[in-house]
Amino acid sequence: MGTISLKNINKSFGSTEVLKQLSLDIQDGEFLTLVGPSGCGKSTLLKIIAGLEQQNSGDVIIDDKNVNSTRASKRDLAMVFQSYALYPHLTVRKNLETPLKLRDYSFVERLPLVGNFVPSRKEKKKSIDDLVFKTSETLKITELLDRKPGQLSGGQRQRAALGRAMVREPVAFLMDEPLSNLDAALRVHMRSELSELHNSLKTTFIYVTHDQAEALTMSTRMAVMIDGELLQLDTPSEVYNNPSSLRVAEFVGSPKINTFAAQISSDGSVEFMGIKLERKFNTNSQKALVAVRPEHLEITKDSNKPAFEATVSYRENLGSDIFYHVQVDQSDSKIIVRGSPARLISNGETVRISPSHAEAMLFETSGERIR
Amino acid sequence: MHHSKAHIWFVWPAIILMIVILILPIFLAGGISFTNYNLGNSSFEWVGTENYEKMFSRKTYIKMIISTATYVLIVVPVSVVLGLVAAIMLNSLRFGADIYKTIFFLPVMATLLAMAIAWEFTLHPTLGIINSFLANGCGGIREFILGFHWLPWVSSEDSWYSVACANNMDFPYWLKDKKTAIWTICFIGVWQAFGFNMVLYLAGLTSIPRELYHAAEMDGAQSTWEQFKLVTWPMLGPTTLFVVTITTIRSFQVFDTIEILTKGGPAKTTYVMMYAIFEKAIQQNITSIGAAITVVFIIFIILLTFFQRYVIEKRVHY
Repeated sequence: MGTISLKNINKSFGSTEVLKQLSLDIQDGEFLTLVGPSGCGKSTLLKIIAGLEQQNSGDVIIDDKNVNSTRASKRDLAMVFQSYALYPHLTVRKNLETPLKLRDYSFVERLPLVGNFVPSRKEKKKSIDDLVFKTSETLKITELLDRKPGQLSGGQRQRAALGRAMVREPVAFLMDEPLSNLDAALRVHMRSELSELHNSLKTTFIYVTHDQAEALTMSTRMAVMIDGELLQLDTPSEVYNNPSSLRVAEFVGSPKINTFAAQISSDGSVEFMGIKLERKFNTNSQKALVAVRPEHLEITKDSNKPAFEATVSYRENLGSDIFYHVQVDQSDSKIIVRGSPARLISNGETVRISPSHAEAMLFETSGERIR
Repeated sequence: MHHSKAHIWFVWPAIILMIVILILPIFLAGGISFTNYNLGNSSFEWVGTENYEKMFSRKTYIKMIISTATYVLIVVPVSVVLGLVAAIMLNSLRFGADIYKTIFFLPVMATLLAMAIAWEFTLHPTLGIINSFLANGCGGIREFILGFHWLPWVSSEDSWYSVACANNMDFPYWLKDKKTAIWTICFIGVWQAFGFNMVLYLAGLTSIPRELYHAAEMDGAQSTWEQFKLVTWPMLGPTTLFVVTITTIRSFQVFDTIEILTKGGPAKTTYVMMYAIFEKAIQQNITSIGAAITVVFIIFIILLTFFQRYVIEKRVHY
């Protein structure tokens, strides 16, 4: 089992409030990502779950047991740190053995020299060796077992740190930006490996990241946190396609979502940039914001489609996609549009941009979603 | 291919200086140690290993080795352990750490010469505050605590304190008694050295990443002792190596306290090597013996360095 619930967690450092009344239910076997910009409190939340940090108020419940006053070492959780935090003086094998020894050996058995003479230790050592070997096989680090962390590459260290977390078969894994110290290619590769690992272990993963790509690719559910508040908790596709607020919409998705000022008439029809949306919305506000993702804006030559004119100011070529930063002619706002690589448009050219109506989202000026 | 010789021009000033200032004097001392040369003599004779034979046969020099070894073997472990303990305790303090740091570091900053004079007054058998403090405490709580009466196997009549009180305030003569002199000197040595070790350990402690302690906690290392064993001690390895080396070399070189407080006495119990070199070569002007002691001294230091380099360093993680 590995269910974790957080109930009304508050945390402040001095006068700075880091977490505000945060509640969250994590199901067994789930890969939950806590994602948010840096400083949003996600690492603090993870440390509170781990027990390395104490919340000011609220409850942490692991497997239906309140662990508020339980020490980190007694919560049976494992953590992978951003810096890996491997013991640099120990070989990978000893690093993996450490949590097992601390759990299985008695105080006397752990003593140097003296411990070797305790008869019960031999049997325990055998089972520890087996577990370490099994884990190293899973992670393909068997040949690295006798090396020290200093002799490993970033990716290998990452695996060793995962191994140290895995050997104990904990209730849940807590990961604090574990991929952020790797180079881009390795990071993408490790994303898939972590997902596979999660599929095979079927243990709860709680994964903290500021990288929305990691959150979108790996998680079963993602929790978007901004300024110490949980804004949305849903599957990645739901968060991306159906954000609950403008802040979520703006944080998730790269490049950032485009926003336009819009007017709402009394019958609920919405007009922005001279374009009338086909859908009607039920709201009393007269002003609102329309948000459209770059891939839902189309550069068109078709003069029948409703469109507005803009001037290309910068072209971002990513190979498979091209993003154009364009200056909207009627206003001074800049937006980003995805174009196809089939036709390159040079800087300074004027284009007609047409939004795809079904995908436009409407938000109150204060940020709430209008459906 | 043309090889430029320019590098030689850059290197030779340093090499020559090194030879003249460092290497040559050592060989000179080595050479003199095989002669009967005294400073100011116009001639000398080679006497072979006579100086060394004297050193290893005469009681004075045996005592020299014993007192030096005692001093080093007491001061190094005690000041290193005390330094570590003080550093760990100060590191966990939230307030007032700076005050303690200053107090413990004072003996390091102050001139040992001046400090030694202060110690001389403090430890004076009749006028010193230590013995008057002890004398005033006869029959009171001081006697109970310092006489170890609280230990079940110490009877209140036979403890050293009670005996001294009964015998007309016959408290130890500290530096004047051959039984206590070297231990008193060791105590002053520890008092002087541990502040420096503490500062080095404090620097070492701050460089241990906090995440390692978090990792240890998550791995199940609950007690302070487990965390110390798993993280603190190994991570302080390089600091410990440095602290032990520097304290050992400094302990071998102890001189100021001996010169001011005991002059090698009583009965040569505090006759450490550095003081012996000074006494023979400078005061008595027997340069050849002084040189021989110097050579032995250097050999000790070199052995120590090799031990550090090849034995300890292998076990230290950087």
